[in-house]
Amino acid sequence: MDKITETEHLIACNECDLLLERPVILDSQKAKCPRCGSTLISARHNSIERTLALSIAGMILIFPANLFPLLTFELMGRAQSQTIFSSAMGFYYDGLWPLAVLVLMFTILVPACKLLLLFWVSFSLQFSIRLPARRFALRSYQHLDEWGMLEVYLVGVLVSIIKLASMATLVPGLGIFCLGALILVTTMSSSMLDTDLFWHKIGEADND
Amino acid sequence: MINTGQSAASQGLQSCHDCHALWRLSDQNTHCRRCGSALHLRKPNAMPLTWALLLTSTFLLIPANMLPIMMITSLGRGEPATILGGVIDLIDLGMYGIAFVVLAASILIPVGKIIGLLIMLVTLQFGLTTNMQQKMMMFRMVHWIGRWSMLDIFVVAVLVALVQMGNLAQISGQLGATAFAGVVIFTMLAANAFDTRLIWDKHPGTDSE
Ligand SMILES: [Zn+2]
Ligand SMILES: [Zn+2]
Repeated sequence: MDKITETEHLIACNECDLLLERPVILDSQKAKCPRCGSTLISARHNSIERTLALSIAGMILIFPANLFPLLTFELMGRAQSQTIFSSAMGFYYDGLWPLAVLVLMFTILVPACKLLLLFWVSFSLQFSIRLPARRFALRSYQHLDEWGMLEVYLVGVLVSIIKLASMATLVPGLGIFCLGALILVTTMSSSMLDTDLFWHKIGEADND
Repeated sequence: MINTGQSAASQGLQSCHDCHALWRLSDQNTHCRRCGSALHLRKPNAMPLTWALLLTSTFLLIPANMLPIMMITSLGRGEPATILGGVIDLIDLGMYGIAFVVLAASILIPVGKIIGLLIMLVTLQFGLTTNMQQKMMMFRMVHWIGRWSMLDIFVVAVLVALVQMGNLAQISGQLGATAFAGVVIFTMLAANAFDTRLIWDKHPGTDSE
């Protein structure tokens, strides 16, 4: 027997374990814990639909952001272009393969997985299709969230431009604009995700 | 009878770490029936794990700052660059804003994170539960800002990929960068291993004031 229904009107703060009556909140409001100030629930208008749309947009943008060069470096008639992948491989050729693996993970693998997992879960909830492993997908997304570092990488590219500007000519490529758009979409998708609602829907569907 | 306004644990309830569903402690579930994750009342071994990860990252700070993070070769002459050296170069170029960004991301944030986590550990160990709301705010900041320390690693990654012109100009990554990435990752893991609920378990009377 699943006994979640008897505690459904309650909520425990995730950071200080204070037990509270589950607050009833409206769209795009937040409920905070009165004792430690952590966010209990952050409701979002049309969370499932918007998350689905943003994850699809992200899965499309991830290709041009990775395929087109971000920057081209020109020095005395010679030119060198760079993509996200090639900046990870640079470490590999210098013999620092653990670093190459980390950069690859934080800038390509984790962001791609996050979008795919988010698409899987929101698609399954939007169309009430019980896709396999959707519980695992949402949990994985929650754990991977902070390890996607595209926005940090983009700032890194900008700092590099400033560092090299005095030394040579730098030409921004199409990839840098696609990367900017991809960051916008992934940031919006994680702020649109209302995990409380998602878990509630998954729990409801699995109980039927 | 379940009373609100107290800890869930004292009312015989535990919340799932991943989906926050509430379950009775007496149920003896090993896994959450809503999301499938393993149930623990508190994160297992939170204290020793946080200490171990924090000490590791503190030790790694030394090679991360002493060893060069990259080697800049131009016209055949090689010159190693450390993190602090890179900041000084930017100041020499008169780019104070960007120098501050790099300084913040590569030195102030990692050191601040380690100090912040130490404050939380000491708070828990010795029950110094004053200003808890501010401390929680600081802990959340530490958690949120941690990933930004990867900035310098990404800068080196971009420079290494771009500046490959043989004898003319060449930048290669060095071991200091690996140590620095270690600092970032271990402090992130330490923040994840810590369980702030333990502070309230030990000192239930603690209020926001
Ligand atoms: Zn709380
Ligand atoms: Zn759960």
